[in-house]
Amino acid sequence: MIPLRLKSECDRTLAPFVTRIAEGEPRCAEDATLWSEEAGALGYQTGQIKFRLWDVAPAEVAGDVLLVDPRRQIAHRLIRAASPHNTFLITEQCDQLCLMCSQPPKPQHQDMFDHFLAAARLAPPDAQIGLSGGEPLLHKNALFAFIDAVSAARDDLTFHILTNGQHFERRDLAWLRKHRARLLWGIPIYSDDPATHDEIVGKPGAFAQLSPNLALLGLAGAALELRTVVLQQNASGLPGLADFITRHIPFAATWAIMQMERIGYGRMNWGRCFYDSSLDFASLGAAIDLMRARRQDVALYNFPLCTVPPAYRDFAVRSISDWKQKYLSACASCSLRDDCAGFFEWYREEDGFMEIWPQ
Amino acid sequence: MQVWPLRFRDLDDHRTILADDSGAYFLAESGFVDRYARDALTPPDERFLREKGHAFDRSGDLAHTGFLTRWSRRQHVGGGSAYVILIPTLRCDLKCSYCQVSRAPVAAKGFDWSDETLERVLRVLDDMPVEEIQIEFQGGEPFLRLDLLQAVATFARRRFQRVRFVVCSNLQTLDEDILAFLESEDVLISTSLDGPHQVHSRNRTGDDALTDIFLRNLEQVIGLVGPERVSALPTIDMDDPPDPEDLIAAYEEFGFTSLYLRPVNYQGFARKSHPAARTSINWNNYYRGFVEALIAQNARTGQVMEEYYMAHCLRRILAPGMDSHTDLRNPNIPTSANAVIDFDGQIYPSDEARMLARIRRVDLTIGNVSDGLDQEKLALLAPGHINNFDPDCIHCPYQPFCGTDPIDDLSRSGRIDVPRQDSWFCQRHLAVFDLAMELIYSKDPAVEFTLSRWLGLESLPDALRPIAP
Repeated sequence: MIPLRLKSECDRTLAPFVTRIAEGEPRCAEDATLWSEEAGALGYQTGQIKFRLWDVAPAEVAGDVLLVDPRRQIAHRLIRAASPHNTFLITEQCDQLCLMCSQPPKPQHQDMFDHFLAAARLAPPDAQIGLSGGEPLLHKNALFAFIDAVSAARDDLTFHILTNGQHFERRDLAWLRKHRARLLWGIPIYSDDPATHDEIVGKPGAFAQLSPNLALLGLAGAALELRTVVLQQNASGLPGLADFITRHIPFAATWAIMQMERIGYGRMNWGRCFYDSSLDFASLGAAIDLMRARRQDVALYNFPLCTVPPAYRDFAVRSISDWKQKYLSACASCSLRDDCAGFFEWYREEDGFMEIWPQ
Repeated sequence: MQVWPLRFRDLDDHRTILADDSGAYFLAESGFVDRYARDALTPPDERFLREKGHAFDRSGDLAHTGFLTRWSRRQHVGGGSAYVILIPTLRCDLKCSYCQVSRAPVAAKGFDWSDETLERVLRVLDDMPVEEIQIEFQGGEPFLRLDLLQAVATFARRRFQRVRFVVCSNLQTLDEDILAFLESEDVLISTSLDGPHQVHSRNRTGDDALTDIFLRNLEQVIGLVGPERVSALPTIDMDDPPDPEDLIAAYEEFGFTSLYLRPVNYQGFARKSHPAARTSINWNNYYRGFVEALIAQNARTGQVMEEYYMAHCLRRILAPGMDSHTDLRNPNIPTSANAVIDFDGQIYPSDEARMLARIRRVDLTIGNVSDGLDQEKLALLAPGHINNFDPDCIHCPYQPFCGTDPIDDLSRSGRIDVPRQDSWFCQRHLAVFDLAMELIYSKDPAVEFTLSRWLGLESLPDALRPIAP
């Protein structure tokens, strides 16, 4: 696993600060340059501040944007320059309790927007940054102000925002329109049957709230990525959901059908939720065929290629973020490995896919 | 709940096809139409209409917004890319019985672009507000003036980011320079193969030896560039149409996986020599028989041959935005990005308009390469190229998938306001879409096999066959 937090060392009395590890000469006041290199520790300096990073090589962190937390002696790698998978965790609060949630909500919120703004200003050119939670739109005013501020400073940046879609309002329309080219909204929909959707997200009335909000995004011309984790609870309903999407949400730019991640509630509920699509792909195949016939984009996220029938493998995307992705020992001899999403770090063979075969 | 207006048409004596303005269709087998007409829909009827996106509660709700999106995507807006047809020469070394453009003899003078015309054509191309273009060379036989093709290609490859050339050739004469031109990846060949040897001779060459040469040349070209870059279409003479199996076999022999059955156009020479081309009933019957024979054969052999037009119409029914075929889309407003430039520099809105002008029936030029486009004339032609408001089309469930062809109406009736059902275009397309709907709703495994392969699917999802309660 690629570490997202580095052991760090600096004056504990300092307030947390954002810095970028300079590649070559520093380009701004926030850039930190290497001034010492000893066993296991790199010494950096930005302005008057000196800090150290442990157990990492200079090339691994070059260009990275760090949030250094002196009190806890940790450096958070907010933006890894070499990776397309950078996400700001806006909050850990959430108003849904999804059965398969990989990041269960916590009651308290720590506002990090100032740090995120500082970090975004230092991001590599044309970067796409993920904004996730929890539910980011629980802090909608601050989030929108943050996006406004980033847009003013860095109009080359785009955001992929994962939200449950519960918190849009009619009066957001103008704002959504203004930023439509910059924002991709990833919004889960688990079923076209409101009761099934509500059961999966653990919130009565969630579907009824989601529906007009999706319409709002459509009217705004927003870029929308629908996301559906396939579960025992909704697998048989996927063809029906595909029909619903093509008829009622045709403006969605894409529909991602996703495999489950065995962590958080996902681990707790694995036994009653995990749908082994390597044993029966029929409902997924029918859903994909309908999307194809009606020419709306569809993709498979988090599906190892060998679990997908060959006719549908073109839809499988290497979707698992680099820092939490792995392959199995069986994958060593597989000819498809380089194109394969692989597995989540926390995947377990004993209760995972039954049909894993090197190709 | 408000229901979007539904149009309906009986498919046979117990089934009716209904569709709304967005092209969402369904089949009704019982008293649904009656209940709809008498405003007596039952709760299951209403649930069905709501689920399938034919109804909404409030402006701006999800059903309403989804419908608006689907409707808007059914309209062909254009822009972005151009598709122009160039006629560098009207001369041809064949004299096909059904020639639509009244081609000129090989030795004739004054039927080629002059140097000046070439210059002006290039200027017209240069002025097009697009970065993507497909240039189709028609004739006459374009390869009689390879030098002009080369000049256009050299210019276009420099001017446009993406460019493709289609040479519509009789492939009667090949030489080293022509073969060298064909070798570029961006050059495609479209030719005519009317079926078995004797049919091809009768329709096109009038000479078995010439047919032999053509067949050898076709084989050589396919061997050089592969079957992907060569397409062929058979023109069907309804006085003596080929047996479908023989026609399919002639195409299989060359490794083609698609053919496009084309009726004799009621244009040019064909008006005199092929009076049968004027009526649609024989064509429609032949076409249906051909598609059925093709489906049966695909099921028998497990190989898949496509009839391009049926496959295209199926794709148009199932999805919006399938507007690549320039003769079937709506609106289809004539513009410079979709024009024909003739051997004399005159500009026409379509190849058929050129043909009609050629017999001096009516002047359908929309400008010329010297003076540019005649905006007044374009404005006059535009309304005839929209079917949304046609008093007949607005009652037709197939309107969202269909188009218009005022040029053909002019050719056959001398006017564009004939009742649609009396026009060849409408009769032909009602038959095509009726057949397409029958195929979509068919549960015959042979039909499902062919349709799923044509559409690139593993199997046909049930959701493509909605049926009202």
